[in-house]
Order: sequence, then structure tokens, then C-alpha cells
Amino acid sequence: MSEPLSVAIIGGGFAGIGAAIRLKQKRIDCIAIFERGREPGGTWRDNTYPGAACDIPSRLYSYSFAPNPDWSHTYSGSAEILQYIERMVDDFGLRPLFNFGHNVSGVRWDENASVWEISFDGHPPVRARAVVMASGPLANVSFPSIRGLDTYEGHKIHSARWDHDYDFTDKKVAVVGTGASGVQIVPELVKVARSVKVYQRTPGWALPRTNFATRQATKDVYRRFPATQSLARNAWFWGHESVALGVVWNSPLTRVVEAVGKLHLRRQVKDPWLRRQLTPDFRAGCKRLLMTSDFYPALQKDNCTLVTWPIARISPKGIRTVEGIEHQADVIVFATGFDVSKTGTPVPISGRDGRILADEWSTGARAYKSIAVSGYPNMYFTFGPNSGPGHSSALVYMEAQIDYLVDAISYALARNSILDVREDRQREYNVDLQRRLQKTTWNSGCSSWYLTEDGFNATMFPGFASQYVGQLKSVDYDDYTTSEYRPAEQIELTATV
Amino acid sequence: MAFDFDEMLVKIKDKQWALADIDWDAPGSETIGPELWTKLKPFMSDLMWIENVGARGFAAMAQKAPTDTLKEIYTYFHAEEQKHANAELALMRRWGMLDGDEIPQPNVNVKLVIDWLDKYSDQTSLAVLGTVIPMLEVALDGALVKFIVDEIDDPVCQEVFKRINSDESRHLAVDFQVIELLGHAKMRKIIVETVGAWMNPSLIIGTLRYIPLLNKMRDNIVAMGVDEERLYTAMRRFKKVGERSEYPKRLPMFRFISWHSGVVINRAHPYHKFADALVRVTARYPKRLLRPQPTWSKELTYEPVA
Repeated sequence: MSEPLSVAIIGGGFAGIGAAIRLKQKRIDCIAIFERGREPGGTWRDNTYPGAACDIPSRLYSYSFAPNPDWSHTYSGSAEILQYIERMVDDFGLRPLFNFGHNVSGVRWDENASVWEISFDGHPPVRARAVVMASGPLANVSFPSIRGLDTYEGHKIHSARWDHDYDFTDKKVAVVGTGASGVQIVPELVKVARSVKVYQRTPGWALPRTNFATRQATKDVYRRFPATQSLARNAWFWGHESVALGVVWNSPLTRVVEAVGKLHLRRQVKDPWLRRQLTPDFRAGCKRLLMTSDFYPALQKDNCTLVTWPIARISPKGIRTVEGIEHQADVIVFATGFDVSKTGTPVPISGRDGRILADEWSTGARAYKSIAVSGYPNMYFTFGPNSGPGHSSALVYMEAQIDYLVDAISYALARNSILDVREDRQREYNVDLQRRLQKTTWNSGCSSWYLTEDGFNATMFPGFASQYVGQLKSVDYDDYTTSEYRPAEQIELTATV
Repeated sequence: MAFDFDEMLVKIKDKQWALADIDWDAPGSETIGPELWTKLKPFMSDLMWIENVGARGFAAMAQKAPTDTLKEIYTYFHAEEQKHANAELALMRRWGMLDGDEIPQPNVNVKLVIDWLDKYSDQTSLAVLGTVIPMLEVALDGALVKFIVDEIDDPVCQEVFKRINSDESRHLAVDFQVIELLGHAKMRKIIVETVGAWMNPSLIIGTLRYIPLLNKMRDNIVAMGVDEERLYTAMRRFKKVGERSEYPKRLPMFRFISWHSGVVINRAHPYHKFADALVRVTARYPKRLLRPQPTWSKELTYEPVA
């Protein structure tokens, strides 16, 4: 019988890689990363559509413990971010930890052995003393529920599963969705396609995005004096923190953000009707802010049309909208985002006493500080419930989660113990959290992927990034129950590392 | 039983049809004789433009809808009115009434209303739009559309207007339900909103454009050979249906529109001296005072596919 893994990390994207780096730095060696794909990178491996880029400055959209002085622009494209991820994997020697092609089919707590048993499709199960669920909220693509979707005879592409073999030159293209990926794809497609029709359901608040190239001299300074890079990162961090005052809470500063959005729209779009179609009717921040200076000009190109009529159905040759016209297209691009689970779990997880996490989360996911769930010992979530940022970098939140879970796991492994968050602390935390969420823009009346159909917000953190980071600064072990790890020797399972 | 807006929205989605569902080249266009053809062209043009105006009205109402469901319903109605206009344009095309890619120009009264809608409709309250639009729809549905269905034998036209009628019946059901809903508000709120609306010059300007539009419509209908009593019956229906419940009567705007429709159908009322004078005045309205036609009114197309 082989020993269980110390830590199993599920997901080989930013969070899984960051967790592995930090665990290794703590000299926790018996770890493995289980990744369903064939390469590391998660969201950034999957999102390679033309124009794919991050709308958070690269200095902030990177780990402070893995600084990169070479970012070419203020905002990086997906290829450069993926290079950064690959470099981290190599620099920190993570490649041997990866188990590619491992699609997790279930995670079960074995009370007798005090370990987690992880099952896979087509691979033998493994055991681990701790699990990091780093599967990410943006892992599964979402197609809209439109009638006739399957009847379409042309080519269908989802933004997160881009078909690089498809040649858009001189094609009639339909783009469904005008969210974060839609506004990046459209400006690229209008450059090559014969026509692009952009189907918008709800316009979002768009702010200008100025993307400067980083001078070589700046890169040299960052390389020679890493403290300067850290300073730049801090400047971006606090700059974004100030934006929270207008974006997270419904405040007079929200009006300022809206005024910037309206000015941006007015400056770029002259036709009043088009402007009206592009003006949101909800408070800025309620849905994700769009950062783009290219989308509005692209929409006004001769070969581009914004379609705001509701879609009636998809027909074999195109999209029928309610004004009665069939808009025929050679290809439909679905920039319709991801299936962000607010009520279920990424994989079936059963904890103590046979409890099923998906059942407990059926009315909305709840966790303690977004990271641990009572009854699921030694299991930690990155990007768990209510850890979404509305104004800052996901990587800032992720780094705080990683440092917290690494501390907790180190503590448990060093003391041969099992940590399980107390139910009362988890409940108190969530009561307070939901109370605070009521005052945020996300709960101000629009429907968005942040909320369940019942309006429950299981996604966002209602505060500054510094508050989120602060609450995860250290593990308060009083919030946890501790029991002793007693491995059961009779269990025969193989750990694959 | 309470009206279920969610159920209505599902029904609206289920009943969608497209121009591509109709065989525009099917036989039957020869049933339009030369005399009818000549009269029908301006009539269809007016009808199409009034549908387009109604579409814009619904777009404005969608912004003020009190619930997401009603907002979505109005978004659909906006598109459906545009569909009706497109279908009517396609019929004109079928009957050879369009010269090449020509889109008939709206008459001056429609132009004035387009101009008003473009400038003011988004700032106008749901109580105002929610009572005026049903009035226009009742008139359209009850007189103009009915006239076409009765007088024109072309089977394609019959099919198109059967579908349009089916859509309009849902529009009216929602329209009257919303009027009733508005009537449930506290009287103090209703009064404040009404006084506020009339304090705004845009509503007075709008009324001065709406009055000649109705009388002009009447004149056009009469010129077509339609019995104007048909229009009046339709307008009476507005009051009658609205007053089935006590709540619409609490709305001053509903009472005003009902009163106004009563006056419009009374040819002996001195109001007509004023309204007909407005028709004559607006006929001479200097075109240079009109702002450029908004892009929303240029989205009409007779092509089933694009």
C-alpha cells in the first residue's frame, strides 16, 4: 500500500499552479496536480480567441511571488499570459506534478482513513490528505438556451474553444454576446470578415482601455530592482481599490464611473439611436464592467451591424430575430461566457457522514471565507463562494487564498491533524456577508451571472480587495475543529504522482 | 384571476413567426385591381409607418417597465411592431408598389410624431405612453387591419394579417392589463405624476402632434373608402375595454384619452375645427424644421433574409 498524497490539487490553471508553488516553497512535496486538459493554463489555455486579453493590468494580474518584468503592455494578451503560466510551471519545477487527462469524476471523504478519495474517468483513484479544489469558475463553457440551436447547419464556435483552423476571411459572421469576450472578438473579426452582425441582449458599461507598450528601459529597471516592480504593482492595487468605492457600492462615485462610461460612449458613437442601444439601464458595476476602446469603433465599421432585436430562434441558415428577418451567417460565434455554478459543485463532492456538497449548495453556495466548508475537512477552494472581485485582480484574491490554504495544510500535515471549519463560524460569516452584499451594486437590481435566479449572490465579495486579503492573512484555528489523522492501513489504493 | 405576465411572455416567444415563413411569390397578387392599387399604396404606407412609430413607443416603454418580465415583453412588442411594418412593406413590394429599393416616405404628421418620439419618448412616463399606444393599437387593429382583411382577397395578405392580428391581440391584452396595473397606484402618486407630466412642454407638443395624426388618419381612411364608423367603433372599444375594471378610471391619462377618443368620433364636436385646422397647418409644416430622420426609422426592410 502506498502513502496517500499530502495534497491533491484539482485543476492546473492559475490557482492550481500558484498553490503548487507555495506548497513546494513550504517543503510539502508529496503533491499532485490533476488536470483534465493536456496542457497547463486553465482559462488562459482555453481562451485563445482573436483579441483575447486581460482587462486587469498585467502587473496586478500576476503573482507577487512570481514577478514578471517582461510584460510587453499594460494589459497582456492571452498568449503572453499563457507564456507566463508556462514559465512558472518550468521555473518552479511543477511539470512532474502534473497528471494531464485526469478528469475528476468524484471526491469522497473516507472517514475511516481520514483521507480524500479522488476518482477519475479512465484512471485509478488516488487518496490525499488534503484537497485543493482549483477547478476555477470559468472552466465550463455556456451556450445560450436559444430555440433551434442544434438545427444550425453552419459553423459554430465558442469563444473559449476557438477553432483556429476556421478562416473568417470574407465570411458572414454572427457574434452572439457582448460581454467581456464579445467586445474583444468583434474588433478582430471586422478586420477580416465580409460582414459581422453582433447580437446584443443587454449592453454593458464600457470604460476606455488604454494599452501602452512597456519600454525596454522600464523592463530593465524592474529586472534589476525588483522593488520597483513591487511598487508598480502596489500602485495599481491601490488605484483599483479606489475604484471599488464606485463599483462595489452604490455610491455617488458610481455616478462618476457611469459618467466616464457615458462620455466614452458619446465620444465614440455619434448616432443617438446606436448610443441609446448601447447605454445600460443598470448601475455601473451591477454586471461586469467592460474595458474596451475598440468595440464601439468596430461596431460602426461598414461591415458591422449591432442587432438588438431579441433572437426568436436559430434556423439552419442563421438567426431569426423577432423583427421577422432571418440573418443568415456562415458561422456563429458564441461569446456567451461560462457556466458559472452558483448552486452546484464542479465535481460531485461528498464529505463527512455522507453529506453531499451539491445538496447543501442547492440554494446557493456558502463557505467560510470562500475557502472552506464545514463537514469537508482538509479541503480548500480557490475561487470558492463569494470570492469574486468586481474592481480588482482575481490574482490578488487567489494569492490570498493560496497563502491561507497553504498555511492551514502545513499546520494540519505537521500536526497530523484534520481541520474542519466550525459550522457556527461559517454560518455567522455568511449571514454577515449576505447582509453586506445587500448594499452592493451587484445586488442593485440587474440580473447577471453573479446571481442565482432567486437573486442570491454566491459569487462576489462585498468589499475592498484589501479587506478580503486581510481576512485571509492568517488562519484562526479557533474557527476550526481539530481531530487526529489516523490512517487506515487496510486500504489499497495507489497514489499516482 | 390575476394576469400572468410570465405566462404571456412564454406565449409571445412560442408564437414567433418570420417573414421567411411566408411565400411572398405565391399567386394572388393579381387580385389587387388598378383602382384598389392606387388607393392602397398611401394607405399601406401610413399603416407601415404607424407600426414603426408604435415600435418606437414600445422601445420607450421597455425602459420604464416596472418588472423584468414586462420589460422583456415590451422589447418583444417593439420588435414585433417592426416585423409588422416589415411585413407590410413586403406586401407593398409584392404588389409592385415600390420603385426598386424605395421605402415610401412617411407623411408629415407621421414625421412629426417620429420627431417627437425620437426626442421625448424616453422621458415620457409609462402612464402616458401606456395609454396612448393602446389607443393607436386599437384603432389600427380594429379599423385599418380589419379593413384590409375584409377588402383584400390576396391569400398572402390574408395570411400576413392573420399573424399580425394574432400578435396585436396579445399586445392589447398586455396594454390593458398595464393600464389596470397603473390604476392600482396610490391616488396621490397618480396625481403627482399626471401633474408632473402635463407640466412638461414635451407632452403638450406631443399632444399637438397626436391630434392631427388621428384626424389625418381618419381622412386617409375615408379617402380609401373605409366607413369611418369602423374607426369610431374601434375607438369606442378602448373606453369600453378599459372600463371593464374600476382601476383604469383612476388614471387621469386614461380618462383624457377616452374623452379625447369620444370627441374624435363625434364629428359634430367643435374639437374638429381645431383638429382639422391642425391638419392643415401641419401640412404646411416647414420640412427644414424637422430634424434628420432618426436611424431607428430607417431599419425597415422587405427582405425576409439578410
